[in-house]
Amino acid sequence: MSIKNKAEKTYFDRVHSWGRISSVTALCVLLMFPLAICIDLNVWPSFNGVMSGLLKLMPIYWTTSVLEVFLYTPMLGGGGTYLSFVTGNITNLKLPCAINAMEGAKVKANSEEGEVISTISIATSSIVTTLVMAVGVLAFAPFLETFTENELLKPAFAQVLPALFGALAAGYFSKHWKISIFPILVMIVILIFSPGMGASTLLFPGIAAAVIGAFVMWKLKWVK
Amino acid sequence: MPTNGDFRNSTSLYLIAAAVILFVLGQSVFFLVKAWKQGKALGIDKKKLRDAVTSSAIFTIPSALSILATVIALAPALGMVIPWVRLSVIGNLMYESTAAEAAMEAFGHIGGMAEKVTDPTVFAGIAWVMSLGICFSLVLLPFLAKPLHKKFVEAGKKDKEETENNGEKPKKKNDISGFMDLVSPAVFIGLIGAFVARAVAGSGKPDIFGDGAGVVSVITLVTAIVVSLVFELIAKKLKLTWLEPFVMPIGMIVAMVVSVVAFNVLPPEIAIWEWRG
Repeated sequence: MSIKNKAEKTYFDRVHSWGRISSVTALCVLLMFPLAICIDLNVWPSFNGVMSGLLKLMPIYWTTSVLEVFLYTPMLGGGGTYLSFVTGNITNLKLPCAINAMEGAKVKANSEEGEVISTISIATSSIVTTLVMAVGVLAFAPFLETFTENELLKPAFAQVLPALFGALAAGYFSKHWKISIFPILVMIVILIFSPGMGASTLLFPGIAAAVIGAFVMWKLKWVK
Repeated sequence: MPTNGDFRNSTSLYLIAAAVILFVLGQSVFFLVKAWKQGKALGIDKKKLRDAVTSSAIFTIPSALSILATVIALAPALGMVIPWVRLSVIGNLMYESTAAEAAMEAFGHIGGMAEKVTDPTVFAGIAWVMSLGICFSLVLLPFLAKPLHKKFVEAGKKDKEETENNGEKPKKKNDISGFMDLVSPAVFIGLIGAFVARAVAGSGKPDIFGDGAGVVSVITLVTAIVVSLVFELIAKKLKLTWLEPFVMPIGMIVAMVVSVVAFNVLPPEIAIWEWRG
């Protein structure tokens, strides 16, 4: 038993060493990408422009990042966490995929077996996603202009956001309809007075209303 | 790679993207091999390990297609390369669309998702905003993941009763945990709701069809919601678990097809009516 414990500890520590290295390298690669674009196109966007875009995203994205790390790490295990955060699409893909695999293998997330199955599941999912996207992008790229510049199909591309977010909304709103009504009403009221407000600004009061509304309903025991 | 002289889709950008994608692929393969070896060392049945790979691969394909659909949806404005890379590294369906919108607004790109970004400086600026906006979790992980994971593993050893829920998060005993479980869905609802509300009550840029709330945007939105709900119900009632991951892409694609039909079938004055201007 003690040998097994030692082996597990070693694997545990090794996973975190690899994970730390992979996170830092992924961060460098992530930031090298826009830098490479600037060098390739020989253009340098203004600091102010980048900052004004970032300021709209940082309060939400960076806060969510903190929450996500706390929320997902226990569910995904060590290797699964590092890999999921590098490859993304956690809520809509990696987490349900890992849970599905662990249920199938009848193992628990915080067991040694769970750690292994979760990592295998997320690694497989990441490889499949990356391959599907690479094949799809390379297959679509030559025809993309034909689709997007086609007068008949243009209305579809003009309505991409309602289609995408409508389909996403169905899942979330049907599961959590009680806490969905209030923030939607708040945002519609805001748009009545300020119709030109962009979605990236509107989501601040939307998220605030959703969280506050959920808290009040939870306090009143309307939701569990 | 056919680029049509478009800087957004140049061969060099594709090569940069390929390098990033290969890096991500390499990491996944590395963790897969290490976990597989550890599984064997722990004596886990090989069939169990193989089943985890097969079931995860099948589970992933429909979602991967909906992620691909998002890349294609962002492509008219940004070309293929930026959305491809952004959705392969940390990216997320919801975040990337929102980030692209915010970046376009910040750089004064008129026309949103449907209009091509023609200024290389704006294009590069959007790439910076989208990359910096999403990077924070990678800064946090090296500091937080190990202590959090350690705590969880130790808690699991101490009290096995707590983990009887098949891999889900163990229920916390403290009072606030019920609300904490609602925070994540509430944040997503706020995020999704912003786009839903804009499709119903937002105004667009003048002279650009489809930018503001109007007949076609509401028809598209309602179709996406209704079709997704119907398919979700079918999957649930008939116990078709394989159908569940396809629900979102089906809803999105049917809604886009319906928007084309509505635009071409409705009388022109109704089809282009956007009530908020």
